[in-house]
Amino acid sequence: MAGAIIENMSTKKLCIVGGALLAFQVVAFLVGGLIAPSPTSAVPYVSIKCIDVRKNHHKTKWLMPWGPNQCEKIKDFDEAVSRQIEANDIVFAVHIPLPPNEMSPWFQFMLFILQLDVAFKMHNVIQDNAEITLDVSLAYRDDMSSEWKEMAHAIETRKLKCAFHSPKTPESEGRYYDCDLLPFMEIGSVAHKFYLINIRLPVNERKKINLGIGEIKDIRLVGIHQNGGFTKVWFAMKTFLTPSILIIMIWYWRRIKMMTRAPVLLEKVIFALGISMTFINIPVEWFSIGFDWTWMLLFGDIRQGIFYAMLLSFWIIFCGEHMMDQNERNRLSGYWKQVGPIAVGSFCLFIFDMCERGVQLKNPFYSIWTTDVGTELAMAFIIVAGICLCLYFLFLCFMVFQVFRNISGKQSSLPAMSKARRLHYEGLIFRFKFLMLITLACAAMTVIFFIVSQVTEGHWKWGDLTIQANSAFFTGIYGMWNLYVFALMFLYAPSHKNYGEDQSNGDLGVNSGEELQLTTTITHVDGPTEVYKLARKEAQE
Amino acid sequence: MSPPCFLRSLLLIVLAAFSANASNWLYLAKLSSVGSISEEETCEKLKGLIQRQVQMCKRNLEVMDSVRRGAQLAIEECQFQFRNRRWNCSTLDALPVFGKVVTQGTREAAFVYAISSAGVAFAVTRACSSGELDKCGCDRTVHGGSAQGFQWSGCSDNIAYGVAFSQSFVDVRERSKGASSNRALMNLHNNEAGRKAILNNMRVECKCHGVSGSCEFKTCWKAMPPFRKVGNVLKEKFDGATEVEQSEIGSTKVLVPKNSQFKPHTDEDLVYLDSSPDFCDHDLKNGVLGTSGRQCNKTSKAIDGCELMCCGRGFHTDEVEVVERCSCKFHWCCFVKCKQCHRVVEMHTCR
Repeated sequence: MAGAIIENMSTKKLCIVGGALLAFQVVAFLVGGLIAPSPTSAVPYVSIKCIDVRKNHHKTKWLMPWGPNQCEKIKDFDEAVSRQIEANDIVFAVHIPLPPNEMSPWFQFMLFILQLDVAFKMHNVIQDNAEITLDVSLAYRDDMSSEWKEMAHAIETRKLKCAFHSPKTPESEGRYYDCDLLPFMEIGSVAHKFYLINIRLPVNERKKINLGIGEIKDIRLVGIHQNGGFTKVWFAMKTFLTPSILIIMIWYWRRIKMMTRAPVLLEKVIFALGISMTFINIPVEWFSIGFDWTWMLLFGDIRQGIFYAMLLSFWIIFCGEHMMDQNERNRLSGYWKQVGPIAVGSFCLFIFDMCERGVQLKNPFYSIWTTDVGTELAMAFIIVAGICLCLYFLFLCFMVFQVFRNISGKQSSLPAMSKARRLHYEGLIFRFKFLMLITLACAAMTVIFFIVSQVTEGHWKWGDLTIQANSAFFTGIYGMWNLYVFALMFLYAPSHKNYGEDQSNGDLGVNSGEELQLTTTITHVDGPTEVYKLARKEAQE
Repeated sequence: MSPPCFLRSLLLIVLAAFSANASNWLYLAKLSSVGSISEEETCEKLKGLIQRQVQMCKRNLEVMDSVRRGAQLAIEECQFQFRNRRWNCSTLDALPVFGKVVTQGTREAAFVYAISSAGVAFAVTRACSSGELDKCGCDRTVHGGSAQGFQWSGCSDNIAYGVAFSQSFVDVRERSKGASSNRALMNLHNNEAGRKAILNNMRVECKCHGVSGSCEFKTCWKAMPPFRKVGNVLKEKFDGATEVEQSEIGSTKVLVPKNSQFKPHTDEDLVYLDSSPDFCDHDLKNGVLGTSGRQCNKTSKAIDGCELMCCGRGFHTDEVEVVERCSCKFHWCCFVKCKQCHRVVEMHTCR
């Protein structure tokens, strides 16, 4: 018995397996493209300008933009001027969602973007480095008649980055500045049906708060949430994929346990890859339908991060173990140079994510990008992570290059080798080239679909058929990496077959296989030593 | 005058009489004193609506405030865009709102129709986004069943509803006449051009929200342009408007450029049938106020210059002391504290 299943499988069987995987791949794309709606929706909201008439303190402090108990509204600020209403008495109210609808836990997350409509006035321009201070509060309720309950309250500052593209002359008065989108709020679960946002822009001359921010005409929000339909399709996919990966994982580990020797590094790494894939797959998100777990978004990031780190490490170790040089590896510490950058990079991104989404668990209005220090810190983390990634890819490319150099070296000397050694090296070369091929194919597919989804519109139409390209991208790529891990565990599991079923001298093959396993760790065992070892084994039996 | 030509002119006169009030619904803008339009009886009392519009009003009561807002927006924008021209979009407090200028097939009429249909689409879309209307967006999704549709795939853009409402409310007059007279064709075209000025200037904005804010997840949406931008676009179209005449291709009547050398107009361009009067003289019968008494710019050679504005009648120059606000302190809303500065300026007014 020798090598992995892939080497010993007949071409016909390999084709059948490949065809089956391809069929599943196509199904994964179609599920996203045809059944699921687009992954996310963006809903524009225009805030209603309410007057806070709480001179009598009996009224509730929450101001509703519409419906029963709606606030006293003003249409525009000219009306406020004529009625002598102060800036501090004006509250911008937004109810989420828009009238006949209800929010649902299937939306998974909500994030909001703030847009200011600031009109140009000759005498009241936006000053350089202007900052806007928002007094924001968020409330929720689950039926239209109950009281609002406060969910969060914060005083946040945001930098106004606005440009004015027309000449700054009296002629252009009334045109709007072109302002950058401001991050406003992010919530990792949508457990309630109705939400209410009240925004105030308090003015304080003494503390220089909200001065020099121009003439604000309107505050608009854009709410982004995952579509319920997409969530359902996604959950269904996860629920289907979890057991499939789990079963192949158990099968794979049993195969390894059945062998007399201890599992080698590469086998362990493949197993770890399976574990991290299962970790992503396990549909714990089902709980978010019943429970208000705002940390689910962060948890999802961490799970993805672990998988990416695992995948990158696997590639490095796979290359290393197929190097076919005379170095002893088979230890993780032998790869510290290559795995180190992955660890550092992932750690940086983890810290960054904790700083952003971690803090958002406490204060949904928080964003690391709003302060100078925060921006620099975030950029530092991202740059370090980027450098680590570049370093990693340099190492990876170098290793792949080395492997190919060794392969061409070995191929020339193959005919001169003994049969066992030749088969061993041929197996190694085949395994490596095969993985190289499917990895490149998967990576290329991912990159191509990513670019296509970034460039094109979200959906394509063919007659009556609408294909949701973005959803197809997500389900397809997700399915693809699952199939990748599945195929890896299946095809690279140790084989039980003989090397030399077709040869009369079967005994040598049977026994040599035990030693010539998936790795190259024993390649330094050369010539006489190997023969001696084999002989000893035979003797034992 | 040969008989066909005579008949055509007669037809034109009849049609002109019919279409005389085609933009009268803009009178809604003048009704700010009515308060909110919240009862069906109010619809009957609204001046300037035709019967089909009254029916629409009754069926869509909640939308009518937005229609009125749209009419106001349109008039404000028209007056801003034309503040320096002889015809400055001044309104009368009677019907027709803009006087007779707009009831003829002039460039000015083209602009008024375009900006007003755009105004309605804009105001209704905005009202949708602020939650004032119940019917927007969601009932137009593919998956049907409003609540289910919203939860499954979200709602379609509000702009679709705004434009559709503008189409059914503003265009209803021309449609009810069978859309065959050249005036109806012109109005329909310009109404559509106004809505296109919004639709083709929607800004696409995107937000990345994948792992650690990467662009793995990216959501894009379309944002409506500010109404000033719509006004600017339409003003440019006004300056480059195409004079057209009716022609028959097969059995359908279409408008084609009068001068066949010009390239045919697109959906976004404004078209007109009649050349405009010079707007120089006071002519109350036609609702032209004339330029006498208007301020002009002595140094400008353009239409706001005294030469052109006053139609060669000359102008007075007065030295006037104006009180201006200066070294002001502003809050973002409502509060202005200024010093008063006195300045002597030369003011030119047309004779």
